[in-house]
Parts: sequence; C-alpha cells; structure tokens
Amino acid sequence: MARFTKNGTKVLEAHLTGDSIRCLTGSMVAYEGNVAFKKEGMGGGGGFKSAMKRKLTGESLSMMEASGNGVVYLANNATEIEIVELQNETLSVESSALLALERSLRTDVAFAGLRGASSGQGLFTTTVSGQGECAILSDGPMIALEVSPAYPLVVDPDAFIAHRGQLKQSFVTGVSWKSILGQDGGEPYSLRFDGSGVVYIQPAER
Amino acid sequence: MPGYEKVNGKVVKADLSRGPVLARRGAMLFYTGQVSFRPAGGGMPGGMSGGMPGMGGLGAIAGMAGRALAGEHVAMMAAEGMGEVHYGFRGSNVTVIELQGELLQVEADRLLCHDANLQSSVVVLGSGGVRQAVRGAVSGQGLATTQISGMGSVAVLSHGGTFALPVGGGQVIGVDPQSYVAAQGNLTIDVGASLGWRDAVGKGSGEAIQLKVSGQGTVYVQASERKL
Repeated sequence: MARFTKNGTKVLEAHLTGDSIRCLTGSMVAYEGNVAFKKEGMGGGGGFKSAMKRKLTGESLSMMEASGNGVVYLANNATEIEIVELQNETLSVESSALLALERSLRTDVAFAGLRGASSGQGLFTTTVSGQGECAILSDGPMIALEVSPAYPLVVDPDAFIAHRGQLKQSFVTGVSWKSILGQDGGEPYSLRFDGSGVVYIQPAER
Repeated sequence: MPGYEKVNGKVVKADLSRGPVLARRGAMLFYTGQVSFRPAGGGMPGGMSGGMPGMGGLGAIAGMAGRALAGEHVAMMAAEGMGEVHYGFRGSNVTVIELQGELLQVEADRLLCHDANLQSSVVVLGSGGVRQAVRGAVSGQGLATTQISGMGSVAVLSHGGTFALPVGGGQVIGVDPQSYVAAQGNLTIDVGASLGWRDAVGKGSGEAIQLKVSGQGTVYVQASERKL
C-alpha cells in the first residue's frame, strides 16, 4: 500500500511498495529505489468516460503514474503541501492544486456552477472520490475552514482550493452601480458554502 | 566551529573573525564593523581563484581560463576585516553546508558564499567525459560545475529551500535536473535517460531525463523545478 508522508512543508514523500500512485506530471524532484514514470492516458487516468469529459470541458489534468519500489519525492514550485485523507467521500478540488493521489481514488469532472466563469477557472471542477489519501498544493500554508449549517462560509474564488462534505455552493455577487464607477470594495464575486463540511483555502489569490 | 548563522531562511550572517569570506558579487546586504570588499577570482588577474588570499599565480590563470571556457562564471567578491556581513540573493532560500574535508559539487550560480580558505575549482567537461557534457547540455546547467573542498562553510541558494538525501550503500538516487542543487561527498553524477517511444511521440511523463547520483554522501534537492 502506497503511503504519503510530508518532508518539511513543501515536499511529499510517496513510499511505494510494488504498487503505484498518480501524481502531477513533472512534479518528481528526486527518487530512491526502482521507480518508473509513465504518463497517464489522455484523461489523466480517470477512464475513457472521464477522458472524454475532460476533452469537452477543458478541465485538464496532467498526471503521470509512478510505480515500483522505493520513495518518490514530489514538489511543485516550492508551494506548500497538505495530505487529505478521504473515507469514502468526495473532494472537489481545483485541478491545478492536485499533486498526488493513491490508486484507490478516482478522479472525475463535475459541473462547478457559476463560480468558475467568474474566476476564470472554468465551469467545471475535478472531483476525487473513494478511500485513500491525496496530496494537494497550496500557495502558502493551507487553511481548513469548518462549515456548519449555522455558520455558512464565504470565500474568495481565487483563494479557493478544495471542499469536502455535504456542501451546497452558491455564488454571491456584490456588483452594484458602485462597481461600475470603480468604487466597490474590490471583491465583486464570492463563493458561499452552506451545509456541513470543510473548505480548504490558500493564503494567496491566483 | 559553527559556520554562518542563518538569520532567517533567506539571509546568512558571516562572522569575519573566522577568516575572510568569498561571496557572489552583489549578495552583500549590510555589514557591521570594519570590513573591506574587493573583487576576487574570475576576471581579475592575480585574484583569488584558488580561494587563498595571495595565492594567485598559475592557479588563478588556469582557473580564469577554465571559467571563461566553461561559461561557469559568476563574479565573486572577498570580504575581509573585522565584523559581520549579511548575505542574501534575490529572495532565494539559503542552505548552509559544513565541509569537513569532503568535496561539494555545486553550480556556480547557486553559490552564495563560502569561506575563503576553501579551495574552489571549475571542473570542465573533459574530466567527466561525454556523459558530463550531456548532463550540462540537457539540464541547462552549462558544461561545468564548481567543486569546493576543504574545511569550512558554504552557503548555497535554492528556490523554496532544500532537503538533504543521504546516498550510500550502493543505491542510486534519481534527481530531476532542475531540482538538483548540490552534492556533498564522494558522489558520481550521471545522466540517466529512460527515453521510450512515449517520449518520441510527445507523450512522455516529463521525467525522462534524470540525474543518477551514486556513491557515498549527501545530495541537496530543492522543492521546486525553477532555476535561479
């Protein structure tokens, strides 16, 4: 069973024991042992249906497969890394923030609602589901925010990384006649989450 | 004896009472005390290519020629006197490596500063053979590397900090050429290409070319694929 550990805050160690993981193309910085790297199929390894969806939606995901015996060190542009463990649940994540995931996890594309159009991230998002661990990237230390029915959360779409749990996502605009005059607060679009779950954000805006 | 003191992740403080320090030109941030700076190595005839003050001569000229040939040229300056000098460069992270007589291989543009009593030399492709030349060509690191040896401290630059991987016991560590920072000890660095038909048709994993580090020592890798 592949195992993920963190080496510092910016490097992920993937311990392979004869099995494989999927990781972001080009994210290997070093490895020990006998490890082979192979590019995933056109859909990022999510199967044919997922591949077609990715082609159609433009939610690209460039992954490679690392397999063998040894330790692979993964990092991307010196950004921080967080390991998220999924227990038969679904994580919705920006495809650009996905670093590595275990074989037991599946990826797919889902409609993200209107938020994408505003933030320039496309109308679709990547979902990761199943049982296992995945590593996500965050520009600066990642912040996990708890959402409960009594406390809905509003975040900046540019800082949003991922969310999990039973959450309903909606889109808040603060556009008014002031925006037209350039007198608004500079935060015309926001994402609102209702329900119960966790929202992950980064302390930087894309 | 402790070498440089890290002020934070990106700035080191060198105490000149331990001896003069050679640093990349322009890397000095500020200093206290009586410190004088002068150019060293590289283009200055009779400069300190070998690292020892006053040890110019033939070695210096050979070093100069080597540098000029190899394109491994980063102007260095020497700081001497009494006081403390702070060094940093372009917001890059700094790693301090203590040398106890071993060899450190590092690219010249990743070198921030080192004690002047350390010997530094440029190794041109001849000594490493064709494979070394290939390594320089594919990794974009030029055809030469700087070798530093002796007893003292070296500060190297990286994007996002480095982590040290021990090498030994006959195992080989693969490193992404863009993430490779330095190698300490008795290490051999080869280019390993695992090119297949996938790479030929543009469907490669992006990890086709790797540096294969073997021997006994430590290799320093940065958590990023960005060059300085």
